[in-house]
Amino acid sequence: MIRALDRFSIQTRANIVSISLSLLATFVITVILILLIGKNPLPIFTTMFTDVFLSGYGIGQTLFRATPLIICGCGLAFCFHASLFNIGAEGQLNAGAFTMGLIAVSMSNFPWYISIPVCIVVSFGVSAFFGLIPAIIKIKKDVSEVITTIMLNFIIMALINYFLVDFFAVKSTMRTEKIPDSFMLLKFSSVSSFFQGSSLNICFIIALILAFVSYMIIYKTKFGYEIRAVGFNPSAAKYIGISPNKIIILTFVIGAGITSLVGLNFIMGYKGFYEYGFSNNVGFTAIAVALLARNNPIGVIFSAILFGVLDFGGLAVNDLVPKEIVLVVQGVIILTILSINTVVDKKYNLQK
Amino acid sequence: MKAVEFNNITKSFGQLTVNDKVTFAVEENTVHCLLGENGAGKSTLMKILFGSYKQDAGTIKIRGKEVNFKSPLDAIDEKIGMLYQHFMLIDDFTIWENVVIGNELSSAGKLDYKKIKARLNEIIENYNLGLDINKKICDISISEEQKVELLKLLYRNSEILIFDEPTAVLSPVEVKEFFKIIEKFKADGKTIIFITHKLNEVKELADKVSILRKGQLVYETTKEDINVQKLGNEIIGNVEIAESPAKIHPGEEIKKTFLEMKNISLVKDKVTVLDGVTMDIKKYEIHGICGVEGNGQQELVDVILQFEKNFGGTLMMKDDRVSIVPDDRYKRGMIKEFTIGENILLKKKKQGILSKHNIDAMSQHIMKKYDVRAPSAETPLGSLSGGNQQKAIIAREIEMQQNTMIFYHPTRGVDINATAFIHSEIVNLRNAGKAILLISSDLDELLKLSDRLSVMHKGKIIKTFSEKELNTDNKNDLLDKIGKFMIGCD
Repeated sequence: MIRALDRFSIQTRANIVSISLSLLATFVITVILILLIGKNPLPIFTTMFTDVFLSGYGIGQTLFRATPLIICGCGLAFCFHASLFNIGAEGQLNAGAFTMGLIAVSMSNFPWYISIPVCIVVSFGVSAFFGLIPAIIKIKKDVSEVITTIMLNFIIMALINYFLVDFFAVKSTMRTEKIPDSFMLLKFSSVSSFFQGSSLNICFIIALILAFVSYMIIYKTKFGYEIRAVGFNPSAAKYIGISPNKIIILTFVIGAGITSLVGLNFIMGYKGFYEYGFSNNVGFTAIAVALLARNNPIGVIFSAILFGVLDFGGLAVNDLVPKEIVLVVQGVIILTILSINTVVDKKYNLQK
Repeated sequence: MKAVEFNNITKSFGQLTVNDKVTFAVEENTVHCLLGENGAGKSTLMKILFGSYKQDAGTIKIRGKEVNFKSPLDAIDEKIGMLYQHFMLIDDFTIWENVVIGNELSSAGKLDYKKIKARLNEIIENYNLGLDINKKICDISISEEQKVELLKLLYRNSEILIFDEPTAVLSPVEVKEFFKIIEKFKADGKTIIFITHKLNEVKELADKVSILRKGQLVYETTKEDINVQKLGNEIIGNVEIAESPAKIHPGEEIKKTFLEMKNISLVKDKVTVLDGVTMDIKKYEIHGICGVEGNGQQELVDVILQFEKNFGGTLMMKDDRVSIVPDDRYKRGMIKEFTIGENILLKKKKQGILSKHNIDAMSQHIMKKYDVRAPSAETPLGSLSGGNQQKAIIAREIEMQQNTMIFYHPTRGVDINATAFIHSEIVNLRNAGKAILLISSDLDELLKLSDRLSVMHKGKIIKTFSEKELNTDNKNDLLDKIGKFMIGCD
């Protein structure tokens, strides 16, 4: 099996091997866990499989849940390639989405082809702004972005809470007003009855395009090479003539900005309004998604879908096992990939 | 009795053998000096003794007993202590806290402050270290920091002390003080292995001297027979100044100045690192800079590259961009995860989508034109041998076609063939009208290539040898002079 991988580059081979191994390890650990809580794993897996893969609704919902993870995972891939551990996607995407919800409502009188692009651009800018803050603090004061982005999550969520409750929320709810129906994006289920009323919408296609474009930028442009050079070795990059500070700012702005598109999927594609807590920790799960894909945006598509399967599959087996088991599985994936990566890289002599 | 015996120690990193069957012994209660050029293998040998590296072959005996250290902790258990060039102290902790970390004398998990402090003060008094153990590290000078490191070793009762170029950071007065401390160590029965570049220190201190050259032990002598001239020759090897590629001499009027520094000064962390440097780099000329490591060479480069902007004096440059081959290729020279082509790409102006085909073609072009040997165009630069990596980096800089170029230790850790290739490339660049700054600690290289040679000491250029002075027939006399300037006397 390993021999068949020979035509790929060493890095790709190492990636495939370590991802396969960690998924296998996760599977084994999951089975053990289920046995430990005294359940039979077999019916659990069969229920999950039939509900997720054998119904159009299941497929639609799975991909719908994967969409924000693809978007957010791509944004984080930019940061991670520059060795910037952005933990703030949750806050960044909420800032953008909240703005999007507000602007869409205030632009109700405009046609959709004007207001939607305006919404996208402005919310991108707002998310990017909250990415810029940790970037600047890191450059000026050498404070780790891990700390600043985590803390900014709390700040952003508290600000949104304040603005919602005091100014913008529909009475006795935690959501903004509904946007005009004309702003809603096309749903797959309205084109094909196969998807049986699932929420999957055109945002999924946008996410796929985004992943492809991100891939091209990171791996096929000079800018992408610069990002990775700074990520690998900032002092060498400096001597080569790249400004690490410029790269830190740009990747944070782009990475955080991209996360705002998560709002598009929820607001324009699903509910029609911003709701406090809608993101359900997508910004954190996306860290795992990006890690599992080893920061390759094309890989992010697949790992996001895997997490989508776990997410929706977790609901499907909710009456058989506690749904928290899904969180445990997600956590185990991160732990195994991180530990197995090092071992595999050593085997392939890719150690830093 | 023998404190340490090295027996056929061999150690390689990749294709480079840094220690080649090194065999010698250090007698107990002596000062044993270990000399050699940068890259001769001294530090590696000491790291093996201290358990940081594992030798490929050979054995080490401590006090007659064969040892097999897995980590420095094992070495510390055998009462071996290492004084590193770079101190490992925590700025915000006091002296006594720094000493105690990892060596806690505790009673039932609780630190016994009184006992610790009493013992520290006793050591300080005994060796006349003059430290106040309640001061924080950030409030003391570099030489005091060094004493704190010594205090650490003494607190652990180290008997065999390894000093890696301890005097490099000290002023002459502090050096004298330091030597007194060493004398006291000896009087107390301790064994000292002393690494240095300064030959007059050897004369003053050593009971025995061992010299390493290119990983091999080439010379040993005892106190009575120390001859500084002889030591110098043995360190560099027989000074055979090999035939340089022919230089062309276009005449003074064409030698335009491409870079000029006037009275440049720089203060970093309260230390004056550049002190009124005035020099220039001209077209059709290689300006060599020699000096003991850490006398301002790095800072000179940082100023030219404009990484350091808060300097005094004036800097005039013909072009904004200057090509640099940095001193440490792993840390600063390349992205080792990228291929040759990708490393070059980073320097070029490129827009749009890059094709893998073109990048690989770029790798191929460099491999062919500069004889860089790589398994394929897609091999990451980090997997090539040191010489080939360095050739690729130099090729990259040549391809950039800048007028002013800096070569900083261009042949460090590079084998003989690659060195010859790099030397001829540098002369070719000079002949093509580039202005070149060559910073090196390899005197051989500097004398072979330089049209002018400046000596740096403590952030100053204390002497510039003209072309005429360098072209003397009496090479030994010249070397002697350069050597003296390097250690600061004139």
